[in-house]
Amino acid sequence: MKKGFITLTVNGDAHEVAVSSRHTLLDVLRGKLQLMGTKEGCTTGSCGVCTVNNARGEAVLSCLTPALEWDGQAVTTIEGLEKNGQLAPIQQAFIDYHAVQCGFCTPGVIMSAQAVLNLTPTPGEDDINDGLAGVICRCTGHIKVKEAIRHAGDYVAGRKA
Amino acid sequence: MLLPEHDFIKPRSLAEGLAVLRDAPPGVRLLGGGTDVVFNMRCRLMTPDTVLSLRDIPELQGVDVLPDGSLRLGAATRLTDLVADPVLRERYPALVKAFRAVASRHVRNMATLGGNLCLDTRCWFTNQTKEWRDAKGPCLKTGKDVCHAIQGSPICVALNNADSPPALIAVDATVTLASHRGERTLPLRDFYREDGIRHTVLEPDEVLTEVTIPPTRDRLVFLKETARQGMDFSYGTIAIRADGNGARATRLHIVLGSLTTAPRDLSTAGERLVALGLGDDGIDAACATIRDALGPLTNLYSPAAYKRELARTLLRKAIVELREMPA
Repeated sequence: MKKGFITLTVNGDAHEVAVSSRHTLLDVLRGKLQLMGTKEGCTTGSCGVCTVNNARGEAVLSCLTPALEWDGQAVTTIEGLEKNGQLAPIQQAFIDYHAVQCGFCTPGVIMSAQAVLNLTPTPGEDDINDGLAGVICRCTGHIKVKEAIRHAGDYVAGRKA
Repeated sequence: MLLPEHDFIKPRSLAEGLAVLRDAPPGVRLLGGGTDVVFNMRCRLMTPDTVLSLRDIPELQGVDVLPDGSLRLGAATRLTDLVADPVLRERYPALVKAFRAVASRHVRNMATLGGNLCLDTRCWFTNQTKEWRDAKGPCLKTGKDVCHAIQGSPICVALNNADSPPALIAVDATVTLASHRGERTLPLRDFYREDGIRHTVLEPDEVLTEVTIPPTRDRLVFLKETARQGMDFSYGTIAIRADGNGARATRLHIVLGSLTTAPRDLSTAGERLVALGLGDDGIDAACATIRDALGPLTNLYSPAAYKRELARTLLRKAIVELREMPA
């Protein structure tokens, strides 16, 4: 098909969206659903700022995913981390450990970090490096980002435990 | 930039997919995880009329242990799932290392084994946006009869940068290609051609369905050299498989990747190492065969002299690692 409707569950809400074969998941999130948190960077899989989590909580690149390929799938974006007005532990950790500078890559970095935590709640140095290799932050140099990820386990429902 | 318009087809079975390929006009492109194909579509290096997604074909999924001890890897299995597979981790840690060497976790969460084996060749001219390439005009790979990377080259010399083929070739893996005409199985080493444009023997109506790894107790080592530590295409890779232990081996299979258009077997180097052992004399003798084994090299991405030196360094490091492996 060149055009069609896909069913996509974003942050728990089911959407039916008209797409064409020219659209990627990133185009659907930003252009059709107006979820502007997910950023458009290189669009070729190098920078990682378009990272979202799939149904298994893994980091995937929305810029390299044809929209028609994701019919029937579920995805979590940066907008879906906050629950009932409370930031997710990783979000509060990013604030407390100053892991943000210009902020453009932050949604992609946080969704990559969340994917690391989904796999290992107390990640080691290798887990963190592996999970962050595909996402680039030009400002922070990743040191504070890594510190925030290491300390995300100290937070419960957005507050330091 | 939006993707080029195409007809998107997602078959639910292999038979359904092969039927599409039987009737499809030229210009059909197989889609695995999309990390290579969608990138190439973005850069307008690929403008397919039809894209056939292989991700939902159950026959192409999973890792199975066959009755004779061989492993069957479905071609649409994601690299992340291969890296996590308990059987592969136990029996082939070096293969797992090669799968894990591919790009980043983000990419491996999408990319498939078949996609890595079919990864398109790259050169510094084509690996750019369309606007950038248009300033110079088309090349051999993009529709004209001139090479912009190596002036005067009569053939496309783009490199095969995939990380898993050298390791899989070293363990004598075979690939199965299916079409409506039937199935054929061939050694992975025969899958590749020395041609940057048509770099595999896959026919337009064929699908790579599975990779089979015969059982072995041999030692296996894989190394990858990159500019950056995180996520990068390789300057060079090497995979070496050897029987025996310590400095003794009666069979060695050495494969170099990323330096040439097709992965390269170093059979003479292997013979020298069998004759002289894996000690430093054997390594020196093996390294002395590199120039002839690699033949003429392009200056693509790095000078030819650097590539030869890199091949010797990889060979040396890999043999040292091999002979120090616990028996």
